[in-house]
Amino acid sequence: MATVQLSEAEKVYVLHGIRDDLRVDGRSCEDYRHMEIETDVVSNTDGSAKVTLGHTAVLVGIKAEMGKPRPAQPAEGYLEFFVDCSANATPEFEGRGGEELGTELTNTLYRVFNNKRSVDLASLCISPGEHCWLLYVDVLLLQCDGNLYDGISIAIKAALFNTKLPKVLISEGEEGGTEIELSDDPYDSVRLSVDNVPCIVTLCKVGPRHVVDATLQEKACSVASLIMAVTPAGTCTCMRKVGGGSLDPESFFEMTEAGRRVGRALHGPLMALLSQEEALGQKRQKVGFLG
Amino acid sequence: MPTDTKRIRGPEVSQSLSRFICKPETTLPSDGTRADGRNRDQVDVRPVFVRCGLVSQAKGSAYIEAGNTKLICCVYGPKETERKDETDMKCGRLFADMRFAPFSCPERGSWIQGSQEKDLSLMVLESLQPAVCLHKYPRSQIDVNVMVLENNGSALAHAITCASLALADAGIEMYDLVLGCSIRQDGASYLIDPTFLEESGSYWASGENQGSLTVSFLPSLNQISGLQSDGEMGEGTLTAGVRTCIEGCYKLYPVIQQALVKAVRGAAPPPSES
Repeated sequence: MATVQLSEAEKVYVLHGIRDDLRVDGRSCEDYRHMEIETDVVSNTDGSAKVTLGHTAVLVGIKAEMGKPRPAQPAEGYLEFFVDCSANATPEFEGRGGEELGTELTNTLYRVFNNKRSVDLASLCISPGEHCWLLYVDVLLLQCDGNLYDGISIAIKAALFNTKLPKVLISEGEEGGTEIELSDDPYDSVRLSVDNVPCIVTLCKVGPRHVVDATLQEKACSVASLIMAVTPAGTCTCMRKVGGGSLDPESFFEMTEAGRRVGRALHGPLMALLSQEEALGQKRQKVGFLG
Repeated sequence: MPTDTKRIRGPEVSQSLSRFICKPETTLPSDGTRADGRNRDQVDVRPVFVRCGLVSQAKGSAYIEAGNTKLICCVYGPKETERKDETDMKCGRLFADMRFAPFSCPERGSWIQGSQEKDLSLMVLESLQPAVCLHKYPRSQIDVNVMVLENNGSALAHAITCASLALADAGIEMYDLVLGCSIRQDGASYLIDPTFLEESGSYWASGENQGSLTVSFLPSLNQISGLQSDGEMGEGTLTAGVRTCIEGCYKLYPVIQQALVKAVRGAAPPPSES
């Protein structure tokens, strides 16, 4: 993981600030940094989104391809995740340096979506046992300044919201087989429901308290953090402890409660923002990567 | 053309027989006893058999058996670190590697470590790290290798227990033992220490609170060192599940302690009083 080196004095400063609910950048313990979301940023994808959270920048592109459903779930499509830690973000990621973090993030994403309700996988099925939509969710880290999990999950939710799948018609072919017909009209598309897509909330235990959306400096002061994927309904689809430290059961219960609270509060404004952006339609001015 | 020419491989694509067997019951029986006679909603962990020091070449090793879940773990080190470029030389480094033998699961796995195994290795590492006094081993590395010989559920939880036992057997200084326990939440009730069938069965079934949870716990320090949940669960269910897992860990504690004491006695028999 991209890390920064902090001196003891700096650590004490950060710790004391958090103890008094005032962080180095002026936030309180459960505040997020300024967040910018833009969808439909890459034209070659079926859905894309870019999220910046402080100095963390994440770009997600979703490509839909037609594939064969998995034998275990013949009537469902599926999602494939891949997180690429590019050397743009930090020179540590050069070569195979980012691989470890990339696998960790990818595996967590699979876990987060490993349940029936996050994404309606049945809607990705075209014809059971034969064809389904396969969504390749590719995540690119452009800048790392802590709290990658939250940024990635928000970007994925925005990109899934933005995803438009072309309508597919299945008809009987002339020689008994099936024929697949793709709609010519680019506006004749299907949207995915993102009502139950969870957002990840990372809580970093710093001293006696926990903070949301930790910067790299704060992360350097923390021994353990808790990742929670919270759905809008308040259920948790994945939880794991990361980092080399351990947690007291009592503080763990406090953290889950805080995570749930923060996670639920995150979904409302996010969805409002996404539909607001959607409503602007074609005349929306694109910010792109220089914003 | 097979990419891996070193080993005998079957056809490019083959399928396990289990795909073609019509499953008699995909949902778990919702009440009363479980298939192996244990009860639902009770902290009824499978009886475990543990033994230390089986592998003579390793610094420390342990074997654990819970029902048909069988694992072996070896610890090598502390030895000089291989990676010289690490900036932080004041602390030792712990490496954990967890693998499933290809024949350990109902469906054949691959020899090459998959992403699931990497994920489990990371979980084992993060669970063990808080318990090991790494500052006592500067400039050195400690390797923990876990091999699952037979997987009948809760492999991760037992791997953590087994690995901490092997570390202790190797004489690595630790703050505490690490015990693992997992549950499978099925609606309103839970199944502690699930078997493979219980773990996977009806995972995608509709209904609330379907998921699984693995907790690793340091019993005498009262700290949670690792936690991983999967599936969808409400917050209340999740916290209750964590409490259950902790209770399960306490049940395991005396057995592990006893095994360790036995191993230490065996290694250095007390001087005979003459």
